[in-house]
Amino acid sequence: MQPFDYVKPKTLEEASALLLQHNGQARPFAGCTDLLIRIERGFLHPDVVVDIKALPGMREVAVQPDGHLRIGAAATMNQVALHPAVLERWPLLAEGCASVASYQLRNRATVGGNLCNASPAADSAPALLCYEAVAHIFGPAGQRSVPLEQFFLGPGKTVLERGELLTAITVPPPAPGAVGHFLKLGRTAVGDISVVSVAVLGWPDLGAPSGTSWHIALGAVAPTPIRAAEAERLLGQDASPAGVEAASRAAAAAARPIDDIRASAAYRTDMVRVLTRRGVERVLAEMRAS
Amino acid sequence: MTIKKTTIVGQSFQRVESNAKVTGAAQYVDDLQFGPNLLHGRLKRSPLPHALIKRIDVSKAKALPGVRVVVTGQDYPGLTGLYLSDRPIFAVDRVRFVGEPVAGVAAETPELAEKACDLIEVEYEELPGVFDPEYGASPEAPLIHPNLGEYACAPFIFRRPGTNISNWFKVRKGNMEQGWAEADYIYEHTYRVPQVQHVPLETHATVAQVDGNGKITLWSSSQSPFAQRNLIAKSLGISHSKLRVITPYVGGGFGSKAGVSMEGACVAMALKAKGRPVKLVMSRAEEFYTTFVRQGLVAKIKMGMTKDGRITAMQNTYYWDAGAYTEYGVNITRAAGYSSTGPYYVPNVHADSLCVYTNHPIGGAMRGFGMPEIHWAIEQHIDRMAEHLGLDPVQVRLLNCLKDGQETVTGMPMHPTGLSQCIQKAAEAIGWGKPSQPSGPHKRRGKGIAAMWKAPAMPPNPGSAATIRFNEDGTCLVNIGGVDMGQGTLTIAAQLAAEGLGIPIEDVRVNTVDTDYSPYEWQTVASRITWSMGNAILAAAEEAKMQIIQMVAEVWGENPQDLDIIDGNVVSFATEESIPLKNIVVYGMQKPDGTWVGGPVVGKGRFMPTYVTPLDPETGQGPRAVVHFTTGAQAAEVEVDEETGEVRVIKLVSAYDVGKAINPDMVKTQMEGGAVQGMSTALLEQIILKNGQPLNPTFTDYRIATAVDAPLEMEDIIVEVPQDDGPFGARGIGEHAMVPTAPAIANAVRAAVGVEIDSMPITSEKVWRALREKRGANGNR
Amino acid sequence: MRHEISFTVNGERYDITVQSHHTLLQVLREQLVLTGTKNGCSEGECGACTVLMDGEPVNSCLVLGVEADGHEIITVEGLATDGHLAPIQRTMVELGGTQCGFCTPGILIAAHALLQRNPNPSEQEIREGLVGNLCRCTGYMRIIAAVREAARLQQADTLN
Ligand SMILES: Cc1cc2nc3c(=O)[nH]c(=O)nc-3n(C[C@H](O)[C@H](O)[C@H](O)COP(=O)(O)OP(=O)(O)OC[C@H]3O[C@@H](n4cnc5c(N)ncnc54)[C@H](O)[C@@H]3O)c2cc1C
Repeated sequence: MQPFDYVKPKTLEEASALLLQHNGQARPFAGCTDLLIRIERGFLHPDVVVDIKALPGMREVAVQPDGHLRIGAAATMNQVALHPAVLERWPLLAEGCASVASYQLRNRATVGGNLCNASPAADSAPALLCYEAVAHIFGPAGQRSVPLEQFFLGPGKTVLERGELLTAITVPPPAPGAVGHFLKLGRTAVGDISVVSVAVLGWPDLGAPSGTSWHIALGAVAPTPIRAAEAERLLGQDASPAGVEAASRAAAAAARPIDDIRASAAYRTDMVRVLTRRGVERVLAEMRAS
Repeated sequence: MTIKKTTIVGQSFQRVESNAKVTGAAQYVDDLQFGPNLLHGRLKRSPLPHALIKRIDVSKAKALPGVRVVVTGQDYPGLTGLYLSDRPIFAVDRVRFVGEPVAGVAAETPELAEKACDLIEVEYEELPGVFDPEYGASPEAPLIHPNLGEYACAPFIFRRPGTNISNWFKVRKGNMEQGWAEADYIYEHTYRVPQVQHVPLETHATVAQVDGNGKITLWSSSQSPFAQRNLIAKSLGISHSKLRVITPYVGGGFGSKAGVSMEGACVAMALKAKGRPVKLVMSRAEEFYTTFVRQGLVAKIKMGMTKDGRITAMQNTYYWDAGAYTEYGVNITRAAGYSSTGPYYVPNVHADSLCVYTNHPIGGAMRGFGMPEIHWAIEQHIDRMAEHLGLDPVQVRLLNCLKDGQETVTGMPMHPTGLSQCIQKAAEAIGWGKPSQPSGPHKRRGKGIAAMWKAPAMPPNPGSAATIRFNEDGTCLVNIGGVDMGQGTLTIAAQLAAEGLGIPIEDVRVNTVDTDYSPYEWQTVASRITWSMGNAILAAAEEAKMQIIQMVAEVWGENPQDLDIIDGNVVSFATEESIPLKNIVVYGMQKPDGTWVGGPVVGKGRFMPTYVTPLDPETGQGPRAVVHFTTGAQAAEVEVDEETGEVRVIKLVSAYDVGKAINPDMVKTQMEGGAVQGMSTALLEQIILKNGQPLNPTFTDYRIATAVDAPLEMEDIIVEVPQDDGPFGARGIGEHAMVPTAPAIANAVRAAVGVEIDSMPITSEKVWRALREKRGANGNR
Repeated sequence: MRHEISFTVNGERYDITVQSHHTLLQVLREQLVLTGTKNGCSEGECGACTVLMDGEPVNSCLVLGVEADGHEIITVEGLATDGHLAPIQRTMVELGGTQCGFCTPGILIAAHALLQRNPNPSEQEIREGLVGNLCRCTGYMRIIAAVREAARLQQADTLN
């Protein structure tokens, strides 16, 4: 691994200034489970890594007075997946975070790093998309907030500009009675990078023809994690077995996967259908049971 | 050797080295300390699969401060190889696979060495490549080794200069026309196995140092310290006595650390390092495609069967995707040839096993040495034919499997074997014929079985030696040249020595290998160590024991025949006298007349098979092709998700005839570990190559089975039909444990959902695709 | 590019200088010569480098040495107390959970940590707790059994 320097700023301003100084050759650094591998494989050659873990609020997971969950960008996957409030109110997110790699990796891997790395397969993203999370960004121009759905631009690309840092993600509380599940298909049973992932969140909604409303998000089947809007709409209309089947097909139609060494586009597309149907069926069964 | 009642052999002792391994005390090559003088080696590698080297410019690398050594093929133009000398240490004028070393750098830090490699400029002229063995064997294919005819070569390897075929093993037996005529059903099909990697958790690691006297020491994570000494000494043109190979604990081998792969490069750098030690450790990526991989295979099987299930004829063609150098791989081709029918009696055989050069990673020995690959084809083929004929796969196997005295494919009479028992017991343990309930909707269960055989694949005469020396306190040191890479050699050696000497196992210490002090061992491969080294140890123990008994008998004035050593004491059955070994085994004993007898006890033993004969190059026939075959069977129960194609192995049963289990628990750990490795290759593993470029040389995309993927249940069955020349009747089990796993799983998948997967691995996507095609064909959906 | 750090490893305090790009794994193995912790892939996949950082398992190949400043590290060398093997060390020996031994240090740390946070894990919890530790020799069955047995021993210990 080629040498680089390490700094650990104490304030956001200092961190942002450092990122600007090094002409793009400074990289924010959280759990470094993505970053260090890219450096080691020779894909990145930063002059300096900027450890953001000591910045104020970066490692905190808490429910704010407004009921929204605030996840500091450098909170680890385990912090989120094992947090009592997350398990109780945002269990879909807990499932997504708990599906990442192994327990020891999740002690380092952060939610912010997962999102900033912007892999289409990022496992925290589908759940956060379902919950309509918001990304909070600090940069030379100050603070700004972006709905997570607009945060990703493409594989490895986000709206973050030079000198900007993701500071936190906030997640509004889901509708009452919401049930969610994250389904992940890998090559090995547990801990693989997602070949396909589907997050499904449903809740009772008397205003909807089916009596339910839905958010569905897909991972690893498009340049970014995406919502499956048509599938959501169809389920709002009809959540009967036929409706579920139609919605699952609509989700598959929303996918724009590629062929790669992990799977073909055709397989991924069909797996979106299967996982969506299974996820929706499971959510429906649990909604009925409660 | 008389088989008397044993007290230590047959007992499941804990591994003698396990305390060192659970405390972090066990040292592997990369753990050894060499101080600040250590230089760090890195290799510059070819980015192209096949090209001429037009120019190498190392001047910028040499000029980088902190760089001490830069070497290229010009410095060491010699060729080396185990059975065929076709492999350079660094490419000389041509590169033949992506990752082939073209230069080596040793520098003060790893970072500098890496940087220096980047500064080496190599100009290539790309050549057309060979990426498929069947094409490679055809006359149209570009030649990868134009000088094949000039390489030094073992006499039992039959190469075809002017082609890419570096060995062609033929079997011509019986009368094919008659065989086909007798058949009621003839089925022909092609199966494929990709290149996979062994994935030892410890990658290849070496340190080499050359002292002022020209003495070279190589610390090497190796299965073959003696073979490394032999090949490296010969390729450098130095005396064997000037090269010392030290092998501490080895973090897994599975064949990858047999022979020589990257070790020569480390020695080459050390020779120019002015006495400083040079370390070269493979990264995980390098381990995946630059040392050894398992050869790929295209297998064409044609089999004839009568309607009651008797095999009448087989015509098999094996095209081995052997990679850029086949110095080791040629013998895998040979092993596949002399085992080409699988463990069955087949009267009429036409088999061709072709070792084909390709511009792929180098195929070498891997657990099973060709057998998992050919059994993938044969064992699926038999099931498909059985089904067509409406026969039970277990019964078909029992009908055809080799029985004592029947002729094998090379005309050798089969020795006593427990193969039928293994098939029966495996079937029984899996609940053959009894359906079991799937765990949920869209899931289907199925059971499959596969049988196997495998002989130690080696030259006719590989030798083993052992010595036993006593300490003053009555404990002893066993020196062997066999390597414990996890399979348990140290423990087996201790048990055999303790049994042979009549002392407690706690009193035996077994040393790891140092070629300057350890006695010779050909290589720790071929599942031959318990059998071959075991015999040497028993001989050494016998000699040491006789020295002790004769001394005591002389002092006591007794007949040596009345004395024995029991639990560390010499005892007399005649007088009931007894004396501990302490002191007398070093200082000797004083006789009643005041004079002395004895002296430090040293037992030495050796073993070498002397009876293996050459085979006819045109027919593959001969009196004795191999020393023996270990046989066995595995049965699998799987659950297949009909929608995703995922395959979950519910239960795996292994049953093997090991002759005699020296340590039953360790035999079972081999069965379990091998079966899970076999399962992992069956379901997950493949080096994905695109025009010779490896696309997945990381654990991220070369997945291996984890604790979650391991079967829910495993059962291991030991069958013991003694081997006439094995220690206490023992035969090997190390490799066999993964030979039939993949076809057993494939057969179970087929039983579960009715799809046939011709090419390994059985990925979820392949099952999904096959299910879709099947549904399409049936017109549903 | 160099940083002074102080941290404790297996209860001993160290004040050393580390290079910024060196991983905790390198610092432990090369500077402290605690070679029990192994490097199997450098990419957080195989788990052979697993150590405890403030009581929680991490892949030391993906932690920078400088990040250890102020933290407490436990390696395989620190699992035994006063020469007494920890339960998981004992059961790995007794049940044959180690073969080549290269993955063993990481497995021990991961299993030890699992039993700390979940003293009575189910079979599936054990398997998932070990998913970040690859073993190529044993087929995992005996490792799983060793963790189960260590849980039993630990519970018996706490009852006494
Ligand atoms: C063995 C292994 C298995 C894995 N398995 C999975 C898996 O199953 N699912 C999955 O989704 N991922 C997986 N990953 C990928 C990775 O662990 C996750 O993406 C992780 O969440 C990244 O977090 P990190 O803190 O380690 O990021 P880092 O590596 O520290 O950073 C990642 C990127 O984001 C940037 N960055 C980090 N934080 C910020 C910030 N606050 N503001 C701006 N930029 C920032 C960094 O500069 C870098 O470019 C795996 C990785 C490994 C090594």
